[in-house]
Amino acid sequence: MAAAASSADSQAGRSSSGNLRFLLRGLVVAAVVALIMSLGNVNIGAIGQGLAYGLAGVTVYLTFRVLGFVDLTVDGAFPIGAATCAVLIVGGQSPEVAILAAFVTGALTGLATALIDIIFKIEGLLASIIVITAAYTVTLHIMGGKSNVPLLGEETLISRYSRDFRSWLVEQFGDQMRRQSTNLLEIMIFGAIVIIVLVILYWFLRSEIGLAIRATGKNPQMVRATGLNHNLMIALGLMAANGLAGIAGALVAQQFGFADVSLGFGLIVRGLAAVIIGEVLLRPRSVGQFLAAATAGMLIFDISRAWIFSALDLPTTDIQFVSALVVLTALGAPTLYGRWKSYRQRHSS
Amino acid sequence: MLSLDHVSVIFNEGTPNEVRALQDLSLFVDEGEFVTVIGSNGAGKSTLFNVISGAVEPKAGHIELDGRNITHWPEYRRSHDIGRVFQDPRLGTCPGLTIRENLSLAAIHGRRAGFRRDVKAGEEAWFIEQLGRQQLGLEHRLDADVALLSGGQRQAITLAMATLVKPKLLLLDEHTAALDPNAAEQVISLTQQLAEAQDLCVVMITHSMQQACDLGDRVIMMNRGRIVFEIAGEERKNLKPADLIDRFHSLQDGTELSDAQLLS
Repeated sequence: MAAAASSADSQAGRSSSGNLRFLLRGLVVAAVVALIMSLGNVNIGAIGQGLAYGLAGVTVYLTFRVLGFVDLTVDGAFPIGAATCAVLIVGGQSPEVAILAAFVTGALTGLATALIDIIFKIEGLLASIIVITAAYTVTLHIMGGKSNVPLLGEETLISRYSRDFRSWLVEQFGDQMRRQSTNLLEIMIFGAIVIIVLVILYWFLRSEIGLAIRATGKNPQMVRATGLNHNLMIALGLMAANGLAGIAGALVAQQFGFADVSLGFGLIVRGLAAVIIGEVLLRPRSVGQFLAAATAGMLIFDISRAWIFSALDLPTTDIQFVSALVVLTALGAPTLYGRWKSYRQRHSS
Repeated sequence: MLSLDHVSVIFNEGTPNEVRALQDLSLFVDEGEFVTVIGSNGAGKSTLFNVISGAVEPKAGHIELDGRNITHWPEYRRSHDIGRVFQDPRLGTCPGLTIRENLSLAAIHGRRAGFRRDVKAGEEAWFIEQLGRQQLGLEHRLDADVALLSGGQRQAITLAMATLVKPKLLLLDEHTAALDPNAAEQVISLTQQLAEAQDLCVVMITHSMQQACDLGDRVIMMNRGRIVFEIAGEERKNLKPADLIDRFHSLQDGTELSDAQLLS
């Protein structure tokens, strides 16, 4: 019954009125988040960070939801992307080239998982654990044997514009904006990059290949019976997904000002939380809406985590525990809510 | 069109659980011919389909389709030429995608998927015509999620998808077994109509003696991985379900199978 009802909605979701409803819901959620941020004194830096990590949320949406593939590769693809980006920038390449290269190395990490799954018939979960383990060493080698590559004094997308932007901001809005200038710049630049990437990804998913990838996650047997190579679709899907994780790694490295071999730790959990937060709050129905929801979910995750930190005045050492708590809330809340509703029903009648 | 030449399939070879699913089986199906396959459970009917469609590799023998040796082709490559409808209505279509998206996927049949738009405006008339012939009204619901459809409607969509681009061979694996009698009748008449309109080469597995007598030009009975008899020509035209059931039972008694049993 419930499944039928939600599918009926999905029909409506494909129309433009469905998009309008999605947009309105997004605005309401954004207003609530903004309210929490101002009341809870959350630094707007959390938005920039959420945007930088946002594409990793889309990675998890693509693997878990679209391909139906339990894939942890994002934990390895992300630091590989960060390392690739940092090393290239230190080597004198432009940040744009470094981001593209991070996409490629991230995609190759996804390809490794796909090949292990296809050739050795090792399940996705195990295949990706093997790849993460190997990726650790690969990341160290990319960074020349060091576990950390600093970007201090190098030209990143942020540092390239930060001085000009700061003086323009101070000129326009006065000296009190000086402190926020880097945060605002990050929001603008990362926001633009995320939008460009999502538009390209949407176009890809709405192509014939994208259609085949979406069908592979739902019914691989049918894809084979249609004369399409479902293994190829799994490989392409994992490459696209982990390429995005590579880009996210590159953005985070530029934001933090360094790449570190342990950057990807716990990312799969955050990505999963992002997907679920996005689905619960925004109720996406179509491909485009799902992409937007996964990105927004990561933003909301980072903001709520920052809020908890400032509200409870916690030291940064507690960050992973707070992450785990936020994820548990995101995953567990829908179930608890359902139980509470059926409890109410039983006791009201 | 389709020819199987001394094909054998053995599962779990060399273990106590060894199963000789197909034993030295040869079969030839001509262009435009409609063959029905009957036989008890475990007779090897599904294995026959799996070995034709490429889901199972034969231990010996070779398979030709339209003059090409496809024995070692992967399943997806054979699907360029072979349309399939499965017993389980959920297997043939993709839930979560619309009817239009499912048909668009089927329209890629026979070529590579590319970067063209997944759903093309120019294909709508084609889809509407294909579904309109079925007279189920599905052509008005192109944007409905396939998950909303009944089993019979899904089988109708699967049939439309399997024949959207004319296949060289259509395999129907008990495609009405999971349907209620009404829907089954509808899907069977659709099948007949499609096969005649496109002059398709069809092989259909069925458990219904009635269907085996009503549809097609030839009946094949399988038992223990072999074809034990074929009925074609005049005899087939006058065939009654009761005759088939008699022969079916005589098989079970072993009267007609003594040689084969001695050999196996």
